[in-house]
Amino acid sequence: MPVPEARREPVADLVRRAQGGDTMAMARLIDVLAPYVGSLCGPIALQDGPDAAQEALTTVFRDLRALRDPDALYGWVRMITVREAVRIARRSRRSTPAELDDVPARGDPQLATDVRDVLDRLSPDHRAVLVLRDLESLDEKTVGALLDISTGTVKSRLHRARHSFRKAWNR
Amino acid sequence: MTQSWPVADLDPIRRLRVMAASIRGAGVAERVVPATVDQVWAVASDLENELPHLVRDFRSVRVSGRDGDRLTMHARGLLGQRARFDVVLEPGWCWCQSRFLLCGMAAAPHPDGTTFGFLGGVRLPVAGVLAPLLSTAGRPLIAGVLDRLEQRVELRQL
Repeated sequence: MPVPEARREPVADLVRRAQGGDTMAMARLIDVLAPYVGSLCGPIALQDGPDAAQEALTTVFRDLRALRDPDALYGWVRMITVREAVRIARRSRRSTPAELDDVPARGDPQLATDVRDVLDRLSPDHRAVLVLRDLESLDEKTVGALLDISTGTVKSRLHRARHSFRKAWNR
Repeated sequence: MTQSWPVADLDPIRRLRVMAASIRGAGVAERVVPATVDQVWAVASDLENELPHLVRDFRSVRVSGRDGDRLTMHARGLLGQRARFDVVLEPGWCWCQSRFLLCGMAAAPHPDGTTFGFLGGVRLPVAGVLAPLLSTAGRPLIAGVLDRLEQRVELRQL
C-alpha cells in the first residue's frame, strides 16, 4: 500500500508517534516496513515467509518502545526479522538441506524458479547468511554478530550457499 | 539475481493481526465469508451507510473530508455522544482512530471466499491493565459485527 511521495512522513517521526500510542502512525509504519521485512523473510522462510513477516512485525511493534534511536530502525528490524524468519523456517521442519541433484539449469524455465529451487535446498541458516551477505551487503563480522555465530561459520555457510548456486547454474 | 528472490507478502488480514497483537486491549476476530473480496469490501468500505449497521454503538456516520485514502469521519453514538475519527481507507484495509476509540477492518482472498477481519479497541491509559477484561468483553461484540457483515453482504447479492 504505497503512500504518495508528497505525503510521505519521515520514518523517525512515524516511529516516535507510534511509540506514543498513535495507531495511525503504526499502520503507516507497517506499510513502510512490510516490503523490507518481506524481502528478508521471503528467501529465508520461503513458503512460510508470510507467517515469518507477520511474526517479525508483531515483535517489532510489541517492542517498539524499546527502540531509543528511531534512526536505527532498519538495523533493528533486520535483526528481529532475520531471527524470526530462521526460527519459523526451522519450526516448519522444511529445512532439509539436500544435494542439488535435481535443480533445473539456469534459465530453465525461469530464473525465479531456479533461485527458489536452490534456496529450497539450503537450510534456513544458510539462507540467512546468503541474504545478509548478498542481499543486505553486510560484512561477515556483522552477519556473525546478528546470527550469533562465528565469522568462520559465516564463511563456511556462505561458501556452501554460493557453491550451491554455482553448481545449479553450471549444470 | 536478487530481483528474482522470493518476497513474502503481508496481506491486509496479516496487517490487522500485527496491529491486534501490538495494541493492548484490542479485540479482533476473523471469519471466512462466502463472497469475493470485492463484494465484501463493497459493504465494509461504505462507511456512512454500512458502519451503523455493523457497529451497533454507531447511530450515524458521516464522512466530512477525503484526501486520497485518508478520510475524516464523524460518528454519533446511541446516547448522542460524538467522535471524530481519522481514517485510512484502501482496498481491503480500513483503519479508524479517534481520541478514545479504534476500529480496523481487513479483507483478503480465501479459497472459500474472503477472510474478513474486524478489530475494536479503546485508547485509554488503563487499556493495558484491562486488556484481558476488554478482550473477553469485546469478543461477543466483534462476533456480532462479523454476523452482520455477512448478512449485509448477502443482502447485496439478492
